[in-house]
Amino acid sequence: MSHAAAHSPHDTTHGHPPTSTGLDNKKIAIWAFIGSECMLFASLISTYLIYKGRSVVGPYPHDACLPPQCSTPLKAILNIPVTSASTFVLLMSSLAMVLALAAVETKDQPKHTTGERILGNSKLWLWMTALLGITFLGFQAFEFTSFVHEGLTIRTNLFGSSFFTLTGFHGAHVTVGVLWLLTLLAIDYRRGLGPKDALNVDLAALYWHFVDVVWIAIFTLVYLIK
Amino acid sequence: MATMAAPTALRPHTDAYGGESGIWAWLTTVDHKRIGTLYLFTSLFFFIVGGLEAGLIRLQLAGPNKHVLSAEAYNQMFTMHGTTMIFLAIMPLSAAFFNYLIPLQIGARDVAFPRLNAFSYWVYLFGAMFMNFSWFIGAAPNGGWFGYAPLTTMQFSPGLNIDFWVIGLQILGVSSLAAAFNFITTIVNMRAPGMNLMRMGMFTWNAFVVQFLLVLAFPVITIALVFLQFDRFFGTNFYTIAAGADPLLWQHLFWVFGHPEVYILILPAFGLVSEIIPAFSRKPIFGYPVMVYATMLIAFLGFGVWAHHMFAVGMGPIGDTVFGVTTLLIAIPTGVKIFNWIFTMWGGSIRFTTAMKFAVGLVGLFTIGGISGVMHASPPADLQQTDTYFIVAHFHYVLFGGSMMGIFGGIYFYYPKMTGRLLSEKLGNWHFWLTFIGMNVTFFPMHFSGLLGMPRRIYTYEAGQGWETFNKLSTYGTGVLIIGTLFFVYNFFRSFSNGAIAGNDPWGGGTLEWSIPSPPPEFNFARIPRITSRYPMWDMKTPALTAEVPHTANGDKRLDIDVAGKHTAEGHPVPIGNEPKQPAESGMHVEHATGESAKDLGIPMPNPTIKPLICAAGLITMFSGLLFIHEDKLPLALTIMMGGALIMVVSLYGWLLTPLEDAH
Amino acid sequence: MPVPTRLRRPLAAALPALIAVALTACNNAQYPNSVFHDHTEFNRQVGHLFDILLWLGGFVFIFVETLLLYTIWKYRRKSENDRPKHVHGNTTLEILWTAIPAVILAIIAVPTVQTIFKTQAVASADALQVEVWGHQWWWEFRYPQYTTTEASGKIDTLTTANELYLPVGRKVNFKLQTIDVLHSFWIPQMGGKRDLITNHVNYLWFTPDSVGEGAWNGFCAEFCGTSHANMHFKVFTVTPPNFDAWTKHQLTMAAFGAVAPAVAAASAVDTSKRGAQTPQSQPGPSQVVQTTPTTGSPNAAAPGTVAAASIGGQPMSATPVVQQAGYVAFPHDKLPRHVIPQTPLPAGLAYNESLKGDPQRGLDFMTKQMGGGCIGCHAIAGNPMMKALVGPNLTHVASRTTIAGGIYPNDTKHLTLWIKNARRMKPGVIMPTLGAGEYDPVTKTNIPKTGLNDQQIADIVAYLQALK
Repeated sequence: MSHAAAHSPHDTTHGHPPTSTGLDNKKIAIWAFIGSECMLFASLISTYLIYKGRSVVGPYPHDACLPPQCSTPLKAILNIPVTSASTFVLLMSSLAMVLALAAVETKDQPKHTTGERILGNSKLWLWMTALLGITFLGFQAFEFTSFVHEGLTIRTNLFGSSFFTLTGFHGAHVTVGVLWLLTLLAIDYRRGLGPKDALNVDLAALYWHFVDVVWIAIFTLVYLIK
Repeated sequence: MATMAAPTALRPHTDAYGGESGIWAWLTTVDHKRIGTLYLFTSLFFFIVGGLEAGLIRLQLAGPNKHVLSAEAYNQMFTMHGTTMIFLAIMPLSAAFFNYLIPLQIGARDVAFPRLNAFSYWVYLFGAMFMNFSWFIGAAPNGGWFGYAPLTTMQFSPGLNIDFWVIGLQILGVSSLAAAFNFITTIVNMRAPGMNLMRMGMFTWNAFVVQFLLVLAFPVITIALVFLQFDRFFGTNFYTIAAGADPLLWQHLFWVFGHPEVYILILPAFGLVSEIIPAFSRKPIFGYPVMVYATMLIAFLGFGVWAHHMFAVGMGPIGDTVFGVTTLLIAIPTGVKIFNWIFTMWGGSIRFTTAMKFAVGLVGLFTIGGISGVMHASPPADLQQTDTYFIVAHFHYVLFGGSMMGIFGGIYFYYPKMTGRLLSEKLGNWHFWLTFIGMNVTFFPMHFSGLLGMPRRIYTYEAGQGWETFNKLSTYGTGVLIIGTLFFVYNFFRSFSNGAIAGNDPWGGGTLEWSIPSPPPEFNFARIPRITSRYPMWDMKTPALTAEVPHTANGDKRLDIDVAGKHTAEGHPVPIGNEPKQPAESGMHVEHATGESAKDLGIPMPNPTIKPLICAAGLITMFSGLLFIHEDKLPLALTIMMGGALIMVVSLYGWLLTPLEDAH
Repeated sequence: MPVPTRLRRPLAAALPALIAVALTACNNAQYPNSVFHDHTEFNRQVGHLFDILLWLGGFVFIFVETLLLYTIWKYRRKSENDRPKHVHGNTTLEILWTAIPAVILAIIAVPTVQTIFKTQAVASADALQVEVWGHQWWWEFRYPQYTTTEASGKIDTLTTANELYLPVGRKVNFKLQTIDVLHSFWIPQMGGKRDLITNHVNYLWFTPDSVGEGAWNGFCAEFCGTSHANMHFKVFTVTPPNFDAWTKHQLTMAAFGAVAPAVAAASAVDTSKRGAQTPQSQPGPSQVVQTTPTTGSPNAAAPGTVAAASIGGQPMSATPVVQQAGYVAFPHDKLPRHVIPQTPLPAGLAYNESLKGDPQRGLDFMTKQMGGGCIGCHAIAGNPMMKALVGPNLTHVASRTTIAGGIYPNDTKHLTLWIKNARRMKPGVIMPTLGAGEYDPVTKTNIPKTGLNDQQIADIVAYLQALK
């Protein structure tokens, strides 16, 4: 995904006419892809909301079920403080992603101060983004395991099925994003990412921000709204 | 006619694709024309498979209590007939035209992502093979193309049948989505200079809208299928009755996809007809902007009408009213299209080639499907129609009378562009009339069997219910359709080597694809054309007739018309080469096949590569591993899935890290 | 190019003609399931809407096709040198053919919305309530307003299978549910269909008013698996007194070999009248035929019933119930042809006509020896061994006209073969193949010699046939 950028459509010496919009093809395609992903997550989130409160057995996301309604007391299973932390981590990763892109774009500019050198270190910010992503996944793994210990699996009830599928799909998207970032890092270590690679980093960034925004929606609709 | 100015145009050059031929060249091709050709052959094959399935269905229903098929075989047959015709025949037939025509119509040398394009095709092919493989182990899908839960859950369908369907559709979804991203990018970004959106061919416009429908509709069914798959393989509860699941979840998700899908199936045919009718009427399309807006409006409204498939589920009066009224609304832009086609012909000079007959056939027959569509847009009336043969009649008028008539027209129209040879008009005439008559004899009586109380999807019926005559007629009609299709198949293969030489422009078309040789060279356009109007070829050939067309939308002047590097000469109308058996008017305004390769001309072309095929194979392997979970062979299943995933990822990295073209 | 025109014109003319033929044919007995019969207010409303749609649709059809044919004939290419003027559009025309269809659609929309709200209003409280349960692949009908209490104190609700009795002129409200997959309840001659959806309750109501005593077909209209095509039911519209008599009879305990002596005195008269085949019935005084205390009472509905019934041109006197006491079921000899199943028997099922069964032996075999495993699935009121709810309730199975989801007539031969090998007679059915040596197409094995022999089957059949 990096070498292909060597043939920018703007480069008419290779005989390619300029693109109609002036944007790179890949930029258009990723937006189309993100549009499609919106429908994917919209379907998942709608399902979660439709099935909210319709589980015939617990555990339930929010409402504690205490005797006499329930023979054994069930506490609300969602851990909002922990998930708020993981949400913060993911938001920070988006910031790191912005800095990584900026670092790649300004690779060729001279760096004078330590601050400029730090800000211009694409490897640092790519690592940061990837690690924050991995941390988020760690939070998710912790959340999933603790739910399983509390008796909620993907098979338990409608809440379990729709919750694990929704957040699992999101987690899978984060995983793909992390792999993408690690691939960019590998290229950075091999030959260094520069302004000519900005487009490819930009694509990863768009995807990463999208996944981040989806999480904001999930966090609000699943965790915060009761 | 044999004394052509450019002798190379006499023979359709089989080496049009850069000289490479043979199996390997086809397996590694990234050329949109070759991929379009592959799509065309594969989808026609599956069209015939689906047709044979329909033939067996009709034999079984020819009379009461027949035993051509068992109940189980019949259920598999109608499920696969629907699935095949929709996903393996009509959609990929449209994809064949998208592939072949979009770059030619917008003046591009290929699609935006040639290798992704190849990947789409291979995924489609493997997905189609995967789904049909189920026949050979006697477990073809049997839950209907709509796959309503909970019938399709493990509790009621424990066999592999539904697994093949669920996995197969997901695979095909990958193919459609990848293709849609590709075509959106191609149309947005690769138009020739001057080809602004409102100068694009009507086919490209319809194709453009369809890609958006695909991009927005397919994720929804993917999720519906993922839920079903998780239920079946991992024991989740999305459709589990005991867990309190709501079967309407499946129906809503399915039809949020399913109704846009109807427009995914019909709009490409509308696009083809919108090219054919102007060409053979010698008139531009009537009300081009309105046609464009109508297409967009149909697509937009298409996302707001899904629950009209569910009027019998008890949504309540408010829901029924909302979806009934939005459905009625959609008839307006559709009606506009019909009238605009008629008025394109009005005042024209209509030549009845086979392609034109099919196009007129679409206008006439789709109207019937549209009218019956309005009848079940009215929810109380629909309660008597839904799930009866009346509906079967309706959507076959839309999908056969609409989509297939349009696609057949498109094949007769564009076959010469693809092969350099014309299909036989004589055989085509037989094909058209047998299809037209056969289609009406098959499907019109179904209106009656439906209103006389015959439910859909029944493998048998009793004597004395008043349905015998109509069913017998339908079966006879199917026989006529099959004979008609045989004419087509014979014509298709015979003309490949025996058809009359077409030349660049056998029909006197107005759009860009007619300016280049048939079949086009691998690079399509030796020089990227400059466009100043919707019908550049007509500007060039009959400037007097197009003089009134404003050509200054982008500040460009009429004299800027530039097709294939040649400017038009104002005031020298050139006759349109309209005789089908004659090669195109060999004036100096069109490109000739010179036999020069892209290399000779210094045009960068993407390198052939096998990686998309391997990547697609990995994807299929990964998915098919799932089947072994139900065979209680979990380690085997995991091995296959991991193996497939590994193949996919490795080939994907290989693909993405290899440049598309050689460095220059 | 006149060729297409020549052929297409008569065709275009033929299509509306065909519609007209179908419409006039709608009262013909040749088409017993036509949706154009107006036997209920529901169908009259839908029919009115349908008429509007057909007329407007027919008008649009003729207009568009005529315009199309005229255009392709008028503007056919006459000379290769034709160079028509390039017209790019006409705003007035385009507005016109946007506006006119919009007006037509509005004409459709108004009655549509009115009819939606009319047909989906909540049924009035005095309606006859019928619970419809969909099963793969048969129908269970329960009448919750008609119950009886067994000697044990257990309350039985009137329950029948695949046969629906409706009193003429009384509104009936169906409560539609399914125990397995989706089904759709449809009586073409009575009203629109409504789906039976798992974990949902749906309602549909209509009044069979403009109809006399008659029999109609009902179907499952939603694909529900292997034998979807074999999921029929029969509807009998009967006079209110006959309906009352029918409910009374259906609420009695099994007519033969009922263990619990619990039959109402009133019913006892009925039972004894049914003649020699019920020697074992033990009428007792304790049974009470109950109806729900409110408006659901058949008697309470009777006055309205009579008025409504006369709409159909068949005035019925409010005959006192007692005079109809002999009524057990819709008379089998008056069944119209279209409700008599015509399904042929699969080849290779042997039936020995000369074997005579003994009902008592059949009863003992089924209940004491648990022969055939019948008790695992079926219920027979009054027989304490028969309480299962998987299959159809058999309390009055002999009073029904069909078996197997309405696809075979209820006679000795079909009943015998059904017990012998149901799975060959109805693909995928849950009812097992029972006859010794028979091939079971579901398990793909032969039933061992320990299966039922022909005499045992004949005994069971004799017992079932005693359950009038």
